[in-house]
Amino acid sequence: MELFKPIVEATVAGDEERCVALAQEVIDKGVDPLQAIEQGYTKGMAIVGDKFSRMEYYLPELIRCADAMKAAMDVLKPHLGKGQDGGVQGTVVIGTIQGDLHDLGKNIVKTMLQAAAFTVHDLGCDVQVRSFIDKAEEQDVDVIAASAILTTTMAYMPDLVNLLSDMNLRDRFKVMVGGAPVTPEYADEAGADGYGENAAEAVETAKRLVQSRRGGA
Amino acid sequence: MSMIGFWDVYKRSETGPFVKEQDFDRQVGTVAGQLAQKHEIRFDPEQVIPADDGLADRMYKAALELFLELGIYCRDTSRLIKFSREEVQWALKHAPTSVTYGQGPDTRIMRQRKIEDSLPPFCLNTPVGCTVAEERFVAMVQSYAQEPLSDTFSSAFSQTVGGRPIKSGTPQEVEAAIWNVVKLREAARAAGRPLIGIHNLISNAEKTDATLAAIQEEFGAHPNDGLGVAAIAEMKADYERMKKVVFLDHKGYNRYGLYGPIMGGYAGGPEATAIVHVAHHFLGLLAFGAQWHDGFPLHLMQGCNSTRDLLWLISVTGQALARNTHLLIGVSPFTAAGPCTEMVIHEIAAIVLAATVSGLHLNLVAVARNKLPERSSGMEARIGSETAHLIAKQGITRKKANEIVKKILGEYESKIPEAPKGKRFDECYDLKTVRPTQEYLDVYDRCKEKLTGFGLEYKE
Repeated sequence: MELFKPIVEATVAGDEERCVALAQEVIDKGVDPLQAIEQGYTKGMAIVGDKFSRMEYYLPELIRCADAMKAAMDVLKPHLGKGQDGGVQGTVVIGTIQGDLHDLGKNIVKTMLQAAAFTVHDLGCDVQVRSFIDKAEEQDVDVIAASAILTTTMAYMPDLVNLLSDMNLRDRFKVMVGGAPVTPEYADEAGADGYGENAAEAVETAKRLVQSRRGGA
Repeated sequence: MSMIGFWDVYKRSETGPFVKEQDFDRQVGTVAGQLAQKHEIRFDPEQVIPADDGLADRMYKAALELFLELGIYCRDTSRLIKFSREEVQWALKHAPTSVTYGQGPDTRIMRQRKIEDSLPPFCLNTPVGCTVAEERFVAMVQSYAQEPLSDTFSSAFSQTVGGRPIKSGTPQEVEAAIWNVVKLREAARAAGRPLIGIHNLISNAEKTDATLAAIQEEFGAHPNDGLGVAAIAEMKADYERMKKVVFLDHKGYNRYGLYGPIMGGYAGGPEATAIVHVAHHFLGLLAFGAQWHDGFPLHLMQGCNSTRDLLWLISVTGQALARNTHLLIGVSPFTAAGPCTEMVIHEIAAIVLAATVSGLHLNLVAVARNKLPERSSGMEARIGSETAHLIAKQGITRKKANEIVKKILGEYESKIPEAPKGKRFDECYDLKTVRPTQEYLDVYDRCKEKLTGFGLEYKE
């Protein structure tokens, strides 16, 4: 489709005005909006994510591109067919864990997840263990994602898993963790289902966990 | 010129312009990027340690403009704390010119360093909160305190206290903070330096109540010890940290500002992150009353500052501040590789070189990306301190330093993503004598020979 290439280019350029104009063109020309999302905007954001992982783009560029895509989604989503969700990969509730105020890593993971077509509920910083679970239940999410940058806050990660078990919810949600002091070994010890060393890895982990939760591998 | 004090800052945190945090984060990147362009600040990979006074001065101007435009974001109130140019200049003019740590024979005075200064950097040596088993905590920190070139020392992070893990905001955090002070002073005595200064008494408590409970004479805190007060993310402060300022104002312990901008994060690339890093020094001076300033700029993906762009950032930000202020400034080297590897020695040498010729003091040293438990030892502090002293003594210029640092980078740059994690503390040191193993001393000797060939004269 001739529109998809310029959509990819506009997304990679973080050109919000152009992304929105192209989204309108998609509607005006009767192009399938789901295809435009999957083969245009999402594809463009995958390129942006790769560039970010290689540090050809920095966080401001990543955010600009994600904003451009979001603005286009606002135009396209009302035109999606019944039952179409715009290619949503899964749903995640995310936050920095109890006591932790450092949210850079969490914000990057959130942006990358959104760019990869996840629906993300961001609870912000210093999120009580119970609040993660309440939100997960309320939104019926696939994955609870918690980050910590301090060793003293990382210690709440096992509590999150334990509380899920005590509430008989452990099988209902997947848990992934990350952050500066968190290692794969620690994630295992804490009882988490997945770990992300960086944002790109976190997205792959989230995809795997969603597949697993929904009866895949 | 007008005077400004902490309570003025506090008042502005309640009355300044309201801004959503997400908007502020975006504004940091936008403004820093624009200022980098306006002032023609460009990272040149061949000029890792630039000898360009004009660049340093433009960097300083850009940082001051950024600080005046953005101010400090108060996270508790979502308000901006803004300052006039006159207020910043007044604070800079009246900033401390020296800080004294320790007592008696271990009294050490930190003074301003200029670019290419022959005064050696003040060496504040520490495992930077490296996680360690409770039973090895004292030995690990002793290995730093006992180094003759350690002007002060500080803490590792004990995995447990009394066998219990430490969790932020719990009664255990208070217990652990007190334990930390007691054990640090015990380590000082074991090192034969009971009066050595402890520059950061508490590094295992996030909450201020635990910190304040522990900083007491009866637990081992001495009058010339101190505490770090950190900015939260780029250009942000919060009340939890500002509470410490009030305590320190009344008690008189030393304090330093702690800033860790992430290259690739909110600010953007090396140029914009460097501008934000310099601006953090104004934040620390005005909001925290910092006597000196410690930066730990880090690479977003690599979690260290031994990369080429971070070495440039360290050098140019140091030069900007050393040329335009009399602030006491330092940097914390973070390496990718772990202890007892050639790579960690090369990384330390490169960072120390960039810092020493650029007017900085040193907070030595976080290794293995400051992530892996048990991977830290006093040998890394020894390597950093000895290298810093010889660079200052030899009077190495920025130009020569740039030639040397590129040779050192050639030894490790490509290995950063897969850096060796190195050996554990108990593999690097004899725990009974708290002395480094012959293996580690041999690795250091081999690297000294190589680095001597590059132009660092270890053989003097």
